[in-house]
Amino acid sequence: MMRLLLAVLAALALGSCAQADDKTHIYLQRFFGECGAEYGGKTDVSKAEGECGIVTALVNKFNAENPDVQVDVNVIAWPGYPQLTAQMAARDPPDLVAMHTGVMADYAAKGLLEPVGSYLSQAGISPGAFTPAGRDGVSIKGQAYGLPWDTHGGLYHVNTLLFRQAGLIRGGEPILPTSPEEFLAHARQFRERTGKPYLIQSLVGDPAGAARTLYTYMMAQGAPIFPAPNRLRVNTPEGRKVADFFRQLTAEGLGTSNMDTPAAIAAFMSGEGGIYPTGTWMIGQFQQESVTPGRPLHNAYAVYPYPRLWGEHVEYVGGHAWAVPTRERTAKQREAIARFFRFMAAHNYDWARTGHLPALAAVLASERFRALPQRANIAPLGSIGRALPGTVQRQSAVEGIVGEEMSAAITGQKSSARALADADRRVNEFLAELQ
Amino acid sequence: MAASRSDDRLPPLVWAALLTAAALMVAPLVWTLLLSLKSNAELVGNSGAALGGPYTLENYGAIFGNSSTMRWLLNSAIVSLGTTAGVLVLASLAGYGFARLDFPFRRSLFVLVLLGLAIPSQAVILPQHQLFATLGLHNSYPGLILPGLIGPFGVFFMTQYMRAIPKELDEAAMLDGASRFTIFWRVILPLTIPAQSTLAVFTFLGSWNDYWWPLISATRSDMYTLTVGLAASQMNYAQTSGLGFLMAQAVFASIPIFIVYIIFQKQIVRAMAGAALK
Amino acid sequence: MTSAERRWQGLLFVAPFLLLYLLILIYPLLRGLWLSLYQVDLFGGGTFVGLANYARLAADPVFGQSLINTFLVTLMIVPLLTVVALALALALNRATRSAAILRGVFFSSAVLSVTIVTLIWRFILAPDAGLLGELWTALGREPLPFLSAPNLVLPALAMTTIWWSVGFPMLLFLAGLQQIPQDMYEAAALDRASKWTTFWRVTLPSLRRTTILVVMLQTAAQLQIFGQSQLLTAGGPSGASRTAVLFLFETAFGRWELGYASAAAEILFLIILAVTLTQYMLTGRVRAGEDGR
Repeated sequence: MMRLLLAVLAALALGSCAQADDKTHIYLQRFFGECGAEYGGKTDVSKAEGECGIVTALVNKFNAENPDVQVDVNVIAWPGYPQLTAQMAARDPPDLVAMHTGVMADYAAKGLLEPVGSYLSQAGISPGAFTPAGRDGVSIKGQAYGLPWDTHGGLYHVNTLLFRQAGLIRGGEPILPTSPEEFLAHARQFRERTGKPYLIQSLVGDPAGAARTLYTYMMAQGAPIFPAPNRLRVNTPEGRKVADFFRQLTAEGLGTSNMDTPAAIAAFMSGEGGIYPTGTWMIGQFQQESVTPGRPLHNAYAVYPYPRLWGEHVEYVGGHAWAVPTRERTAKQREAIARFFRFMAAHNYDWARTGHLPALAAVLASERFRALPQRANIAPLGSIGRALPGTVQRQSAVEGIVGEEMSAAITGQKSSARALADADRRVNEFLAELQ
Repeated sequence: MAASRSDDRLPPLVWAALLTAAALMVAPLVWTLLLSLKSNAELVGNSGAALGGPYTLENYGAIFGNSSTMRWLLNSAIVSLGTTAGVLVLASLAGYGFARLDFPFRRSLFVLVLLGLAIPSQAVILPQHQLFATLGLHNSYPGLILPGLIGPFGVFFMTQYMRAIPKELDEAAMLDGASRFTIFWRVILPLTIPAQSTLAVFTFLGSWNDYWWPLISATRSDMYTLTVGLAASQMNYAQTSGLGFLMAQAVFASIPIFIVYIIFQKQIVRAMAGAALK
Repeated sequence: MTSAERRWQGLLFVAPFLLLYLLILIYPLLRGLWLSLYQVDLFGGGTFVGLANYARLAADPVFGQSLINTFLVTLMIVPLLTVVALALALALNRATRSAAILRGVFFSSAVLSVTIVTLIWRFILAPDAGLLGELWTALGREPLPFLSAPNLVLPALAMTTIWWSVGFPMLLFLAGLQQIPQDMYEAAALDRASKWTTFWRVTLPSLRRTTILVVMLQTAAQLQIFGQSQLLTAGGPSGASRTAVLFLFETAFGRWELGYASAAAEILFLIILAVTLTQYMLTGRVRAGEDGR
C-alpha cells in the first residue's frame, strides 16, 4: 500500500515538473474565475465575454503573439490575498498579480511590491495616459505601484419600469434625486405608487456596500475620512448626517434591510425594488436581463453613478491593477513584464466590456467605448471617482469594520453616533499598531 | 447488525417523528441536487425554478470539460489517501505504545497528546506556514499531507481501542519469545481492523474536506486540491449567475466521499465501539 | 535484552508520532506563544511588548463579544446535538432495512464540506430567497430574518451546525448501544422493569462513557466554530455572530496583526484546554472507578 503510494507520488512529482524550454516564463496570478473549459485555446478577444472569458483570451493572445515568452497563469479564489500573503511570506510570489488598488499600500509599505515606473516607461506608457481615478489608485507617495487596468465603483442600477409607474421619469430618463429631501420625497412617492421599496440594500454579510455609501457622501461633503494615514474619522457631523439619512429611509421601510448580496441581486432582477446600489461589475448581467424578452427587467434597466446629495458630486471608487511583487528576475523577464504591460494597456477597451471603466483616458473618451450599452451614463465615474489616500494601509480590513458599523446604523441596531464612534475606535486601535 | 431489541417495533408516534426528522435532513440535499440539474440561466433571480423541469446535465458536463478538475481530483485523492495511510500507521504504533506498554513519562506524554485536542488549528496555522516555508515544503504533496498526520484524535482512538484487548494475548506471545514489534504486527494489529477502517474513514473525510491549509500551502493551480480548486473557479457573484454550476460542483465534490461511506457503512458502526468502550 | 531496554521500547512505538507532533503542532504553538509577546506583523521585525497584547485583548469589546458568542453557540449546539443524536441512535438501533436507510440519511450531511453546507443553508435561511422564507410566506407570515437579526443569527448557526454534524455522534451512540450486554436487558425483563425504568437504569448508565466522549469532542469542536460564521454571516450583523476563531482569522489575515492574533489564540487555547481537561478528569474518575486497572 505505502509502496504503491510512494510510486504514484514519485510519478506525479516527475510529471508535474515544467517542461524545459528556452522561453522566458512569467508567472501570473489572478482571480476572476477559471474558465479553461470554455476559453482554453481561444485568442479572439472580441468573442470572449465576462471577466473570466476576456482575461483568459487576452493572456492566450499575448502568448500567441509573443512566442519567446510564456505566461503561466495561476487562478486563485477571489480575492486571494490570504494566499498572496502566504506566498510572499514563503518568499515565492508570482511575477504579476491582479490586485485591488486599495490593498497595494499594504504590500508596498513592506517593500513587497516593485514600483513599476521603469516597466511603464519601457512599455512606452506615460503616466498622463491614465484617467485621474486610475492614476490615483496605484500611486503611493508619488510612485506608481501597478498598471491601472480599470476603475470600479458603486452605481445606482435603476428599474425604469417601476420608476415610470412611480411617476419618476422625465424625457425617457429616470429622475434621480439631487438632495436628501428630494430623495425622501421620491422614495415615499415610489413606495406609495408601486408598493415596493425604493432602495434595495444588501446589508447582510456585505460591509463593502455600506462603507461605499458612507465614504462617498463624506467625500462629497469635503470631510477628510483619514485626517492622517493611520487615523480614521467618520464620527463627525458629516458622517452622522449620512448615517442618519439612510437610517431614516430604512426605518420608514423605503429601503430593504434583511438582504444579503445574492438576495438583493435576485430582488432587483425580479423587479422587487426601484434602485439597487451596487457596482460596475453587475452591468453585464443586468444588461443581459434587459434585452431578454419576458424578464422583469426587459427594457427596464438604466444605470448611473451615485447621485449628488450633499456638497460636491464625487464618488468613492476602487480599481484593478497589475502589480509586480518584489523578487529576483532576469533582464529577459523584466522585458517580458514591460511587454505584457504594453499589451494589456493596448487592450484596455476589451476589458472595459466587462462593465468596469477603462483606466486609460483615451479609451474612456473613445467612441467605441461610449457606444457600449449604458457606458455614456456611467463614464463620469472616471472623473468624479476618488480613491482613499494611497498611504492608508489595510483598506480592506478598514472597509470591513466601517461597513459593519455603518450597516448597524442603517438597520437601527445601533445609534448612528455610537456605530460611527465604534468604527473610529476599532479602526484607529489597530492602525495605531502598524509599524 | 445485531440489534439489542429487534423484536419490539417502533410506536407510530416515534415513526412519525423519525420520518419528519429524516425529511428535514434530506430536504436541503434534494434542493441542492435539483438546483444542480437546472441551467444557470433559468435560476437567475429565481431559485424556485428548481422545483420544476426541464432538468439538464450541462452543469456536470461543464465540470468534466475543465481539464484541471481531474487534476484536482487526483491531488485530493493522493492527499487524502496519503494522510489516511500515514495516520493509520502513526496512530496504531502510538496507540499500541500508550495502551499496552509501560515506559517512562507514558502518562505525561499521553496527556501532552490529549492537549492537542484543545489546540485550535487556526491558532497554529501561521507559525506552521512559516515552518513549512523554511522547510521548502509548500506546493508539494508532503506539504499537504504532513499537517494531517498530527491529529491527536487518531492516537486517542487507537489507544482506547487497544486498551480493551485482553492483556493475556501479549503475555502468551511473550512466552513464545515474540518481540514487541511481532506482537504488535501479528497479534494486536489484526484485531484492530474494524477500528482501522473507522479511523480511515474519519481521516479521509476530514482530509478531503480540508480547506484552509491547502488554500495557503498549495498556491500553484497544479497542486490545488478539489476544494481549493472549486473555490478558485467560482466567479465573483456566482451565487446568482452560476448557481446551477456551483451546486453541481458541490454535489460532485461530495460524491466520492459519500461512496466511501456507503462502502464502509457497516464497518464504521461496528468499529465505533472502539471509541465508545465501556 | 535487559529490562531497562524493554522499558524504553514503548517509547519507540510512540516516537514517530510524537516527533511529528512536536515539530508540526507543539513547536508552532510555542512559537505562537512567543509571538503573542511581540508587536509583529507577517513580514516584519517585531518589538517586544510583554503582555501588552493581552491587556489590549482584555479591553477589546469585539474580542469579548466574540468569546460570549462562542460560548452561547456552543451551549446551543452541544446539549441539543447530544440529545438528538442519542434519540436517533435509540430509534435506529435495530436490524431492519428501513433503519439502515435512515442511518444513512442522518449521516449523509456529515460528508459535506463547510463551504457546501453554508451555501446550502444560505438558500434555506435567507428570508427573501430561502426555503424557510418561502414556507413562511406561504403560511401568510413575515419571514424571520435569520441572518440579519442579532438575536436570530446564533440560533441559525446552531441549527446549521446540528444538521451538519449529527451523524458522527449518532454513530458513536449506536456503537455504544451495541456494546450493552443482552443479559442486562434480560435481567431487567425478569424484574418486570418498565421500558422507562430499563432505559434509565440500564441503557443510559451503560452509555455514560459514550456520552462523555461525545460531549467532550463536540465541545472542543464547537468552541472552534469558524466556517459557518465566516461564510454564512461574515460575523454579522454588527458582530452578533462573530466567533472567537473568526476574530482570530480576521486579525491575522485581514489586519496582519500576527502578535495580537497569537495572543487571542493563546487565550482561546487556554479556554478550550480548561474545558477539555475538566471533562477529561471527569472521564478519568469514571474509568478509575470502573476498571481499576
